[in-house]
Amino acid sequence: MGRYILKRVGYMLVTFYVVITLTFLSMKMLPGTPFKFANRLTPEQLNQLKHYYGLDQPIPVQYLHYLWNMLHGDLGGSFQYGMQPVTEFLLQRFPISMELGIESMIFGTVLGIVLGIISGIYRGKFLDWGTVTLTVLFISIPSFIFAAILQYFFSVKIQLFPVIGWDSPMTHVLPVISIGVGVMASIARFMRTEMVEVLNQDYIVTAQAKGLSTVAVIYKHAIRNAMIPIVTVIGPMTAAVVTGSLVIENIFAIPGIGSQFIDAIVTNDYPMIMGTTELYAALFIVTILIVDILYGVIDPRIRVSGGKSS
Amino acid sequence: MSHLLEINNLSVKFHIFGGTVQAVRGISLNLNKGETLAIVGESGSGKSVTSKAIMGLIPSPPGEIATGDILFEGNDLVKYSKKQLQKIRGKEISMIFQDPMTALNPTMKIGKQIMEGLIKHQGMTKHDAKKRAIELLQLVGIPNPEKRVDEYPHQFSGGMRQRVVIAIALACNPKILIADEPTTALDVTIQAQILDLMRDLQKKTGTAIILITHDLGVVANLAQRVAVMYGGKIVETGTLDEIFYNPKHPYTWGLLSSMPKLHAKTDKLLAIPGTPPDLSNPPKGCPFAPRCPYAMKVCTDHMPEYTEMSSTQRTACWLLDERAPKVEPPATIGVGGSNND
Ligand SMILES: Nc1ncnc2c1ncn2[C@@H]1O[C@H](COP(=O)(O)OP(=O)(O)O)[C@@H](O)[C@H]1O
Ligand code: SF4
Ligand SMILES: [Mg+2]
Repeated sequence: MGRYILKRVGYMLVTFYVVITLTFLSMKMLPGTPFKFANRLTPEQLNQLKHYYGLDQPIPVQYLHYLWNMLHGDLGGSFQYGMQPVTEFLLQRFPISMELGIESMIFGTVLGIVLGIISGIYRGKFLDWGTVTLTVLFISIPSFIFAAILQYFFSVKIQLFPVIGWDSPMTHVLPVISIGVGVMASIARFMRTEMVEVLNQDYIVTAQAKGLSTVAVIYKHAIRNAMIPIVTVIGPMTAAVVTGSLVIENIFAIPGIGSQFIDAIVTNDYPMIMGTTELYAALFIVTILIVDILYGVIDPRIRVSGGKSS
Repeated sequence: MSHLLEINNLSVKFHIFGGTVQAVRGISLNLNKGETLAIVGESGSGKSVTSKAIMGLIPSPPGEIATGDILFEGNDLVKYSKKQLQKIRGKEISMIFQDPMTALNPTMKIGKQIMEGLIKHQGMTKHDAKKRAIELLQLVGIPNPEKRVDEYPHQFSGGMRQRVVIAIALACNPKILIADEPTTALDVTIQAQILDLMRDLQKKTGTAIILITHDLGVVANLAQRVAVMYGGKIVETGTLDEIFYNPKHPYTWGLLSSMPKLHAKTDKLLAIPGTPPDLSNPPKGCPFAPRCPYAMKVCTDHMPEYTEMSSTQRTACWLLDERAPKVEPPATIGVGGSNND
């Protein structure tokens, strides 16, 4: 197991390095400059600025320079914020996005699994029909429309929750629900499919033939097996939710990393773009590693010890 | 009256999109304590549905037991509630399944899968149940049971898994064991081992076995009595000797002549030309009529009644009517080796 993880971490680092390099190169191909009024500057002024930010050096030099600094924990300074360190921004804003993402994932996953199980058990009956309708609805409504509706009813009309902000627990409710229902719908659909499939397996009949009660058959034999594949979608989904919540962050004025990222791209704030992308990539890669390890833990067939079987 | 299991006029239907499948059409059977009854017939003849009906495991919907009763020690299982059936299953009547690769829960240790029944039916503690599980593994011939009890199904070969399935079924000393094609999914050499094991275990435990198979070789190995099933009906029943040496039904003849002689591995049942009837639109008369070389006009219109050939043999065929022409069984019926007495 230890060796396996070590190997995986090795691959992870390679993947990460490739991502850095590709981002660096593609960023160099972005049109425009980081300077707001570039067309009004004299060539001299432009050169001075480029020199100041190290953009006059050949690209390979810039690249190596960036890597070297990165190894020392320095992601550079933001062009738009007077060279304030990018890491500072990330450290300040990323935890907020992470919090929003994880809370939404927990909300959506728990509800989604429960709904999926119920739907799968009562396949073809009223409860299933209701759940399926609900999930189709929630998957097709974009989260920002849902957010606006929630805001209108719960904040403006009955004033139960604050309209915007991110401080007291009350401010978390609407953004988390806005993102979470989509997660819930996807997980519920996935879980339902798995549940239906597992309930058709021979070993369910074996369990029934032992005389176990319906509850025991479903709880001990069906749910666990149906949940294993869920792990594989939860990981990437978490990463997607954390990195993809920028619209919701905008609507609820949440000072997360998403809005920062948009700004950085619009203004060609190279170090900020790099830093954010790297963070997203790291999050994704680590999530996938965790999923793989977790998968091995819960599914004995894949348990990664020495790969012995007979 | 004193049969361990008595099935009377059992019909099972499945109401599916576009019609009703009459999988089992009024069969009657009985099983005595400690004996082995084989149900033979081609795939689709209703064997598995019959065994699921006995277990109370017909999925409903779409399934339904339309008529008949299943008397276990005199009590009608058809009338039992779900709770009552759960007390019978695994305790009084158990089942082993065709495919050992899929019959075990892949994420549960096999010990635990054996223990579940013991804990449920015999109120054992986990500790005692585990001890018993190890004994059972030993009983079904799994080497090193103390270690293997904590392993998962994927660590066992197909034959070993079928032994585990048998251990699960025998855990609570059931009075009846239903084995639905227990060797069909296994290699030929493993098949023989599993059949030997079943014979041994029956000697030790006295469990009555309903052996479901399409393979007459397996039947000859294990059964004392045989019921031949076709198109949802039982067309002939008799003792092993009667079915092998004095069969009266043309379908039984067909099965026997298509039995591989010696070790020739031919495709068993293809020897009877044609296909079984469509049970969503079952024939009015004898289900075998479209394939029967001796079919007469009456066969397609009317289902033949049973003719009692002996106190143990019953056959449903118009050829046994006194007005029918006399027909000799084909010479191709070879019976598991020489039969020249
Ligand atoms: N759950 C079900 N739904 C619909 N039809 C079924 C179902 N189970 C069995 N049948 C039908 O019942 C008939 C008998 O099947 P089965 O008992 O499995 O045959 P055998 O075991 O003899 O091969 C087949 O025509 C099959 O299609
Ligand atoms: S009843 Fe007629 S069709 Fe059926 S087996 Fe007998 S002879 Fe053949
Ligand atoms: Mg079958």
